[in-house]
Amino acid sequence: MADTIKLFVNGVEVEVEAGKNLIDAIGAVGIEIPHLCYHPALGADGNCRMCLVGIEDGRPPLVPACKTPAQAGMKVLLDAAHIKKIQRDVMELELINHPTDCPICDQAGECKLQDYYMSYGRPESRMTVPQVQKSKKLDFGCGVVHDQERCVTCGRCVRFCRQITKTGELGIINRTDDARVNIFPGRPLNNRYALNVVDLCPVGAMTSKDFRFKQRVWFLKKAPGICHGCAKGCNITIEHNREKYQDDIIYRFRPRLNPQVNGYFMCDAGRLSYRQENEGRLLEARLSSQIRPLSDVLAACNQEIERAGKIVVLLSPNCSLEQMVAVKTLSAKLGASLSGFSDGYVKAGDGDGYLIQDDKSANRAGLTLLGIDCTQETFEEAVREAQLLINFNNDLTRSYTDSELKKLLKDTKVIAVATHNDRLTAMADIAIPVATSSEYAGCLINCDNILQAFALAVSKNQQPLDIGAIAAKLGSPLQSRAEQFAELRKYISILKDFEADTLPAEGLKLNDSEAANVTA
Amino acid sequence: MEVKILSAKFDIKDANKIAIAKTLGAYATLDKLFAMKPEDVIEEVKKSGLRGRGGAGFPAGVKWGFLPKNTGKPIYLTVNSDESEPATFKDRYILVRDPHMLIEGIIICSYAIGCHDTYIYIRGEYTTQVKVLQAAIDEAYAEGYLGDSVAGHDFQLNVTVHRGAGAYVCGEETALLESIEGKKGQPRSKPPFPAVAGLYGCPTIINNVQTIASLPFILTNGADAYKVYGTEKSPGTHLFGISGHVEKPGMYELPLGLPILEVIDKVAGGVWKGRKLKGIIPGGSSTPVLLPDEVKDVTLDYESMAAHKTMFGSGGIVVLDETVDIVQLVKNLIDFYHHESCGQCTPCREGLGWMLKIIKKILRREGSMDDVLLLRELCDNIEMKTVCVLSAACTMPVRSYLDKFRHEFEAYVQGASSAQVKQE
Amino acid sequence: MSDRSQLISTGKPFQYDRERDAEFERLVKRYPTRESMILPSLWLIQEQEGWISQEAIAYVADRIGTFASMVYEAVTFYTMYQLHPMGRNHLCVCRTLSCWLRGKQEIIDYLKNEIGITPGQISEDGRFSLEEVECLGHCGTAPVVQVNGEFHEDMNVDKLKALLATLK
Repeated sequence: MADTIKLFVNGVEVEVEAGKNLIDAIGAVGIEIPHLCYHPALGADGNCRMCLVGIEDGRPPLVPACKTPAQAGMKVLLDAAHIKKIQRDVMELELINHPTDCPICDQAGECKLQDYYMSYGRPESRMTVPQVQKSKKLDFGCGVVHDQERCVTCGRCVRFCRQITKTGELGIINRTDDARVNIFPGRPLNNRYALNVVDLCPVGAMTSKDFRFKQRVWFLKKAPGICHGCAKGCNITIEHNREKYQDDIIYRFRPRLNPQVNGYFMCDAGRLSYRQENEGRLLEARLSSQIRPLSDVLAACNQEIERAGKIVVLLSPNCSLEQMVAVKTLSAKLGASLSGFSDGYVKAGDGDGYLIQDDKSANRAGLTLLGIDCTQETFEEAVREAQLLINFNNDLTRSYTDSELKKLLKDTKVIAVATHNDRLTAMADIAIPVATSSEYAGCLINCDNILQAFALAVSKNQQPLDIGAIAAKLGSPLQSRAEQFAELRKYISILKDFEADTLPAEGLKLNDSEAANVTA
Repeated sequence: MEVKILSAKFDIKDANKIAIAKTLGAYATLDKLFAMKPEDVIEEVKKSGLRGRGGAGFPAGVKWGFLPKNTGKPIYLTVNSDESEPATFKDRYILVRDPHMLIEGIIICSYAIGCHDTYIYIRGEYTTQVKVLQAAIDEAYAEGYLGDSVAGHDFQLNVTVHRGAGAYVCGEETALLESIEGKKGQPRSKPPFPAVAGLYGCPTIINNVQTIASLPFILTNGADAYKVYGTEKSPGTHLFGISGHVEKPGMYELPLGLPILEVIDKVAGGVWKGRKLKGIIPGGSSTPVLLPDEVKDVTLDYESMAAHKTMFGSGGIVVLDETVDIVQLVKNLIDFYHHESCGQCTPCREGLGWMLKIIKKILRREGSMDDVLLLRELCDNIEMKTVCVLSAACTMPVRSYLDKFRHEFEAYVQGASSAQVKQE
Repeated sequence: MSDRSQLISTGKPFQYDRERDAEFERLVKRYPTRESMILPSLWLIQEQEGWISQEAIAYVADRIGTFASMVYEAVTFYTMYQLHPMGRNHLCVCRTLSCWLRGKQEIIDYLKNEIGITPGQISEDGRFSLEEVECLGHCGTAPVVQVNGEFHEDMNVDKLKALLATLK
């Protein structure tokens, strides 16, 4: 627990964390100081002037809360009439040149300016003179579209590109009320985190080409999740909606704060990976290219398993820990060789030392921790000797060309337990659809040995089973997630203190001995 | 009434040239300076009571005393030669007519505060002036007054001229620092103050040209000699700029504390064309206006101005004759401050533009009393809500005109102007 | 202030001439950070070309090693940087307080009626461009007109007429 101090807000004593500014310190105990330009990841700039508060200790009558460190004994004045008036006055000035286009603005419903306007009594406009006109619908690159008239020039986007990505594509040009955000001509946004400026924008000035006009944000259901795009495991919010008579569809991923994993941000590739949850899915079980009921297909699988002399079971490095133990116990029961070979998931040199990792899989550390062999030689040797390969969603096309694959599997039958209806599934003798990561709950271990749990986010009209359930149906002794979790405790001792649904939200940093297991 | 302390060499031909300047005493204080301890120099300046001549009037020696000791970082002096406040034109005379007095002052200040790199920030509009200044600096380098060993002493000092490029706000000291660092001239939040974290994050003293140029006199003649002039709390002389509707506008060096009306009559020849006085802007366009019946006992010093709810400012006095259309004048002022708003803080960025549009609406005779009242309210809503005082520099005078000349605004919104100045 | 975001592209790469190149290298040594060269570099362009093109801004950014957006911010913030070609003679008429009180409008009116240019315009023959500027710091000798950087004080229509006649 961080050090705390006591100070007074509107005469009431509150205990807050030491070493923070007033916005964060007081905000953490549920008292919001209005602000637009301040963002904890970008520091205090002090330009919006919405956070002006009074401090009753003889200093100047008003200070910006973002620039004022919380100090013990400080008497902060927030709800006095004159402070409220200042906030309302500044808000009025923010609004005079702001278009009243909330009905067609994507930010409506999650717009700070709109929220403040509502909470300050929805005053009538006193603007009887023409507004400043600026440019709209500017394509800034990387899927970011900018509206200069909606912009409040808080500069968060500019600071993000200068401080976080250090690419500096954006600037606030001109001065006076002609100031506006722009790119230098011919040098658009060109970084792998650009879409974070859309989240950072407190108003509707920065919109995502991918998301704009797709959904009103108040219809979106929000569920916490973990991005499976790489080994970082950025925390995300999965935003989805089931429109009338339609299926539940994911409309966007947005980063979710986790200071020990990803902070406030995520990469654009991860953000846009929500599309894979929606698109190209394998929806029906197939037997020799024929769509058949799942029960029939599972029965056929069991026949194949019985018939086969030697079996290879292949795991995806994206599977959850629960799925991995379920498949591992299945494999042991079948006397099969188990492999996690997935070299193709690693794109050497692609990582950037910030969030993006070389390893494009979410749980390779889990494979290692469970002692699952991942070498190519062992995998190939096993395949050559086997009559049957049961592939639990490992995208072998990442590791092999099509011709290599055909050669490798020429004498081997393939059961593809797969999320997607891709080339690999098409090549399989039997295909079984399974849930994607937004459709089941589970745990992952990221590249920094942090174990993170995620819950089921989306329930489709016809919810596919997850890999753990399929493994159970094929004979794994672990029949439920609880049993899978209990099995996991054998490998990760610290889990004895937790249940699957009581893992800490910020993740569990595995201790040295467990981390040693992970890297063993 | 005039005295010639700072302006002693202003009327001498070629006094900007080092050869002439030296015959008139330039750089003569340096041997005395280097024989003193730096802290004794600061003490002498403190004793002189010299106040910053940029507008705020903060005691110079006290400011220097804010520098933290032994930070391991370099200390910078920046000389504010951005002189952009409308009605202010005093520093220009120093730059052009006696630049060596400024350079000598820079050497004195730099030695006192332990600075080895000085930047002179000169407004971009001073095109011909910067050439004279740079030539003088080149001469000072050539004769060994600047460079590795100042006047043969064990003291290194470089002076670099940094040109602005058209931004009034860069006269604000932290905007000036941003501008030297290559950024937009947007003032910084304080604290930290520049003395602690200024140019390049290092301890920095920023002084106005006239402040620095006053140092050679103080060091040569002693603090007491300086205090002979002026009042107890506003000692010394000041370069006053008198402009507007007077017979003899111009720059005059005067001791502080003289009655403002006497100065206008006796020094500047009185209100021009035999017209009546309508008002006086006492210290640059940002200072609240004084009515004729308010100025009778106003004297030209910091205390008297404060007592009359206005400010000494930059010493730029503007005289308004009876023909001035105050509503037009207010539009001219708001236009200026709006044009110069750095665009950083919401109240100033948005508010000044709104005020400008309202005053234009009133001038088009499309306004109502509500617009006049809104204009007045906006002065209160904007003022002191911002990082710097640029918005206050607009709202303080505008409020004074709205309060003291309300009838002229009312006349516009009632559809008839009482004033005769033709509209733009 | 009006919007200054529209830059003009010459379609040709920019570079300093030998004299400006040397001046850049001399000045860069005077500052502890290269970003401090943004304003001086832009002045050097304007001295060389009379105005500042999109290519010139990019050149400065790359030569200093800073973001083009930083230079773009500066060049649009500081209003003395000209973002399009000017007339052969650039006239700046001060429009602020003291010059306004002492008749700057007569100067503007004369230029409009006789030369046919209003502030922001360039005469058809390219001989003059006119700009109304904020206080030039010559209030004691108002009104003042700055022509190609030279100050002309205590202006009136007669003096202006004589002055214009000397400008080719």
